[in-house]
Order: sequence, then structure tokens, then C-alpha cells
Amino acid sequence: MLGKMTKQMLTGNASIAWGVRLSDVDYIPAYPVTPQTEIIESLSKWIREGQMDAGFVTMDSEHSMITAAGAASATGVRVFTATSSQGLMYGFEMLYTVSGWRVPFVMANVSRGLSSPITLEPDHNDILAARDTGFLQIHCETCQEALDSILIAYRLAEDKSVLLPAIVNMDGFYLSFTREPVEIPNKEIVREFLPPYKPTHAFFRASQPMAQGVAVLGGHIYSYFKYQMHMANNNALSIYKEVSEEFKETFGRGYGTVEGYMLDDAEYVLIMSNSFSAMGKAAVKRAREKGLRIGLLRLRLLRPFPEEDIREALKGRKASAVIDQNISVGKGGILYSEIAGVLYNEKQRPLLLSFIGGLGGKNISDAEFDFIFDAMMNAYSTGNVPQPALLYTEAELEEMERLKRVAGKG
Amino acid sequence: MLKVRFHGRGGQGAKIASRVLGTAAFLEGYYAQDFPLYGAERRGAPIAAFTRISKEPILERGVISEPDVIVVMDETLLDDPLANPLSGLGKEGLVFINTTHKAEDIKKRYRIDANVLTLDITKISLDILGKPILSALAGGAASKIVRLKETSLKEAVTRELSDITHEKGLIEKNIEASIYCFNALPSVLIKSNASHKKSDVITMPFEAADISSPSVTIPANTPLKKTGNWRIFKPVWDYELCTKCMTCVMRCPDGCIRVNEEGFPYSDYENCKGCMICAEECPAKAIRKEREVHAW
Ligand code: SF4
Ligand code: SF4
Repeated sequence: MLGKMTKQMLTGNASIAWGVRLSDVDYIPAYPVTPQTEIIESLSKWIREGQMDAGFVTMDSEHSMITAAGAASATGVRVFTATSSQGLMYGFEMLYTVSGWRVPFVMANVSRGLSSPITLEPDHNDILAARDTGFLQIHCETCQEALDSILIAYRLAEDKSVLLPAIVNMDGFYLSFTREPVEIPNKEIVREFLPPYKPTHAFFRASQPMAQGVAVLGGHIYSYFKYQMHMANNNALSIYKEVSEEFKETFGRGYGTVEGYMLDDAEYVLIMSNSFSAMGKAAVKRAREKGLRIGLLRLRLLRPFPEEDIREALKGRKASAVIDQNISVGKGGILYSEIAGVLYNEKQRPLLLSFIGGLGGKNISDAEFDFIFDAMMNAYSTGNVPQPALLYTEAELEEMERLKRVAGKG
Repeated sequence: MLKVRFHGRGGQGAKIASRVLGTAAFLEGYYAQDFPLYGAERRGAPIAAFTRISKEPILERGVISEPDVIVVMDETLLDDPLANPLSGLGKEGLVFINTTHKAEDIKKRYRIDANVLTLDITKISLDILGKPILSALAGGAASKIVRLKETSLKEAVTRELSDITHEKGLIEKNIEASIYCFNALPSVLIKSNASHKKSDVITMPFEAADISSPSVTIPANTPLKKTGNWRIFKPVWDYELCTKCMTCVMRCPDGCIRVNEEGFPYSDYENCKGCMICAEECPAKAIRKEREVHAW
């Protein structure tokens, strides 16, 4: 039942906005920040022109915005909001607070490197800082996926065995401002897939007061609530599979918790996330043409973390390399550590290499991908795993030298 | 895959031009991707936009550093080392330049090995639209160069401009201007530039914070930049009409109007950006605008 659908050229931001429009959202608290602002601009325009029936309020900060999103969701309505980078950091305290209220609103984060130095281009230190907050996290590679993920995120977040807020993440610039063909699903069919939100746990009204997020004194009480959240978040793994299966039947597009590309017979696996995975796929394709058995594993559902699916995907491989588009300063790649944790108790596990790449939107060239492929094969044949390394080229360092001279440091 | 890069100045329409081309290709059943690059954007500053067109799904993202086709919407950008519009152009590539000059002369002056096509699309836009907004025209030129169909271009211009304006007359004029450019240019067989410049992966050396902190220690580190070559129009004063009210002096956003010994205002043309705010604000209508062509 694919129904009537139309395809058009949309940016990532417009795709997210369309996802929200189709989801019958009731309330949108907003605060602008590059490169996300287009999302809330589109939504406010549609509301003004009567194409969307929702309340839209511009707040004084992201801190207030996330509070408002949580509070509105606690009245039982469907809520959306969006932010990026510094904005997410500014609202950070409230991420933990509202997820503890168990309110299933959806927030888009458009990834952008964190200051200092300040930049507008993407990496994932912003979104990964939020990995422990209780929010579900879906990370997107394409504009179509960004639209579809909003619909999936509401279904997942509002499921009775989950009831947690969700973040849909996409890269600034590389998706947010990039247009590509996107199919806009039919609204009636979306309504069937995503029925109205009817909570039985959080629905306060003027006539029906209830206390939310109460204070607790005593670790056993606190632990109870925290661990319940953790279990609810983990429940989202199996629910995700049901929801994405239904999504595929309804709309013809399927999204696993992870995505494999040329993976079936791969001996070496590149692990990436978000929009740069497209470049990784192109590199894998080129390597295949040379006869190398390399594949790519893209991480999509980051919270809950699909440990079993990752273990399964890496089973029997010779070596695997994680490209972290983030850096835990003083430790290294965040996802590398998480993947290593998943594999530790496996008897036969692939060697695991760690690379930091694409920080602040830095391009990852063919030469850098080839460098990783060589490093994996070399590690397997010698048994020596190289130290974690930054992907950076000679030409880029030369450019840095020039800039240092301009800044009076050369 | 064909990779097209547009260079223009903020406000000229490079982003929409890249979208017109992207949509035209999409309408013909190609995979298409378009993308503008702007940061702290402002009117007149150099910007770039990109369109990728392919028969297969596109597995590339971000800036195009080795384009097959370059569209330069403002000839003065060729002299701007920061915009560097010809970078990454191979011998097989093609450059379209909006200029009053002939292709052979441009090739000689800017030492371009690749193919060059020229057309004064600013004049066409002034004649048809009455203002120098080049998006539909540059999109039309690019659509012809990469061999798309006129019907796709027409539909693409309609779609892209309907997003921005509801003025039907304006959309129709843009279609007319776009088709004019389309027909004024030959279609060219372009070989996709598949070469990739390689640079080795290195190990990042450690440097102490007096070098590696993001601070600038040298004063005056930005080269002096004259903005006079951004002009499409130049303000010209008629002292017979001028009442010396000084409104223009107050209103010039770039502070480049001075007063001569007789008390009449005049502009510093090395820096005047040609925004024409002075002419609009002058109560005596003493300032007229003249088309500026880039003379060598
Ligand atoms: S056109 Fe007039 S207002 Fe604009 S920069 Fe030139 S002198 Fe100033
Ligand atoms: S605004 Fe017009 S009248 Fe007044 S000083 Fe300027 S040119 Fe003269």
C-alpha cells in the first residue's frame, strides 16, 4: 500500500520540516541557531499560512525551549523542537530533566562542531555529548532518511514500553543545506502509521493537576527511576525493529538499527555514521573494483545502542576500523570505545582500529580512505594494531602552516 | 557524474542557479544534488554553490574541488584570490563567464587552458528583468552546457522561483531570460573529470599552545581589500540638481561619500559597492546610476 507519493528536491532542513508537518505536531517551541534555523522558519511559515495547525512560540534560549518542549509534552500533546551545537549545549541541563519526565517529544539536532575555535561545519561532539541523557538517538545519512526518521522517532518515543524523548540527528551543511530528491509520504497514510498520541502517564490539564519530575531523597528511589529509564530505552531496540518493519511495509523504505553496505562477504569493515558514510560507501565501492573485500557498517540507532546487531555484523571479519567524527579530548574516538566494549567478550573478534576524521566538516579524501584500508589489511597480516590516529593530509598541514604565518606564528 | 560549480556574489543568485540546474536534471530523471556554501554571508561577498548530476545514486557530498563545469557569474571574481573560481579546473573542463568580453580574450587574459564560453548575462537580465538578478539566467546557461532540455529548464525555473515569489509576471520574465541564455549558448560534450589529487596522510606534530591556540597575534593581518569592483552600477552626481543636503553622505552604508571643496558630495569609487542607496535616498534625484562594465 504505497499510496500516492511525490518526490521533489528538498534540503535536509526542509525534509525534517516535512516530517514534522506530516506528524500532526501540536506545539513547537523554537530558538534559532545555524544551521538549523531553516527548519523552524519553514514550520512557522506553514503555520502562518494555515498549512499546519500547531502552536509556535519563539523562546528566549534553548534552555527554556527544551523546558517548554518537555512541559508541553507532559500535557499530552505532540511536540517538536530543533537545535544544533552550542544551542544543544546551552539547553543541556534540561535534556536530563525532561527525559526523566518520560515525555516523548522529538527534537532535531543539526550537528555542528563545538566552539572553540568556532565553526559552522559538522562533527558529532554536540550530539554525542547527549548520549547519556535518556534521549533516543537516530542518526541520518540522507535527506530522505531525515524525513522518514521523524515519523519513526515519534512512533518509537510514544510507544508504551518506551516513553522517552528522541533526537533525530543530521549533519549541518552536508545534509541541512543540501538538496536531493526526497519522497514526501502521503499524509493520510502517515496518519495510519502514526496515530494520535494518547498518554496515560503524563497529561496534566488545568482541571487535572499532577506533579511531574518529583524530588526524591534516597538513592534507592533515585536508582529505581534511573534504571527504569535505562530499561525503557533498551526496550526501544525491539520496538524499533517492529516500527521500521511496519514503516517499510507502508512506505517501501527500510532502515535497520545499523546499515550494511557491501558487507556480506567483507573481510574488512569500515564503521561510520551520518552523512559522511556516503563518502565511505564510495571508497568501499572503489576498493571493491580493485578486488578488495571491504564493506561498510553505518551506525544509525545510537541510543539504544544496538550491541547485538553490531556484534552480528562484525562476526568473522578480519579487521574493522571506526572513523569517529568526534573526539573525546584526552581519550579519542567515542564510538571506537563503544564498539570495543561490544566486542570485548567475543571469542573471535576482528582487530579494531581507530581513526578520527571529518572534525569540523574536514573532507575525508580518497587517499585517507585508502590509508585506512591499507592499515586494516596490514594490521591483520602483522597482528599489530596501529595507534589511534587523526586523518589529516600533508596538503592540509601545509595550508595550516600558511595560516599560522598569517596569524603571526610562523 | 557531472560536477558543476557556481561562483557569484551574495545577492546575485548563485544558490538559486545551482538549484535551477539541479531541479532541471532531477526532472529529466537524473540523480541530482545541489548545495550552497555560505558562512557569514553578506550581499556582495563571494559565494559558491554546487550541483552534481548523475545516472547513479550520488555517493559524494560537500564542496566540489575538481569541477567539470564552472559558472562564473561575476567576472571580477577571477581577480579575487580568496574566491579563486578557477581552482581545480582540468584541461578538459569548461568555464562559463558572465562578461562583455569574448572567450578568446578571456582565455588569454586569465591564462585559461580549458574551454571558455562567455555571454553578458547581466545585460540580458537588465534588458528583460530590469535588474541584475542572474539566478535563472546562469541556471539556463548551465543547463544548456550540460545538455539538459529546454522544457526541463522551464519547469525548473518555475518551481524554483515559485518558492521565492508569487509574482507571475516576474516568473515569466525569468523563464524568458533563462531560455534566452539557453539558446544563446552551444551545448558541449563534457568529459567528466575523474582525476583526484592525492595528498598523503601524515602524523600531526605536537605544537605548544603559543602556536596551537586559535589566537591571532599579529595586528593588521587582513590584506587591504577594495570593494569597488563589486559594482554593477555606479552612482554619478549631477551638481546642477544637488542641494548639498548631505542625505547621501549620511546614508551610504560604506561611508564612501566625501565632500569636495565646493561642498558637493562625491564617491570613492575604489570602495563604493554600487548599492545605490544614495540614489534612492537623494531627495533632489541628483544621483543617477550607470551600468559598469569590467574594463581591463
Ligand atoms: S552606491 Fe552610493 S550608497 Fe552605495 S556604496 Fe556607493 S556611494 Fe555609497
Ligand atoms: S542627497 Fe542628493 S541633494 Fe543631498 S547632498 Fe546628496 S546628492 Fe546632493
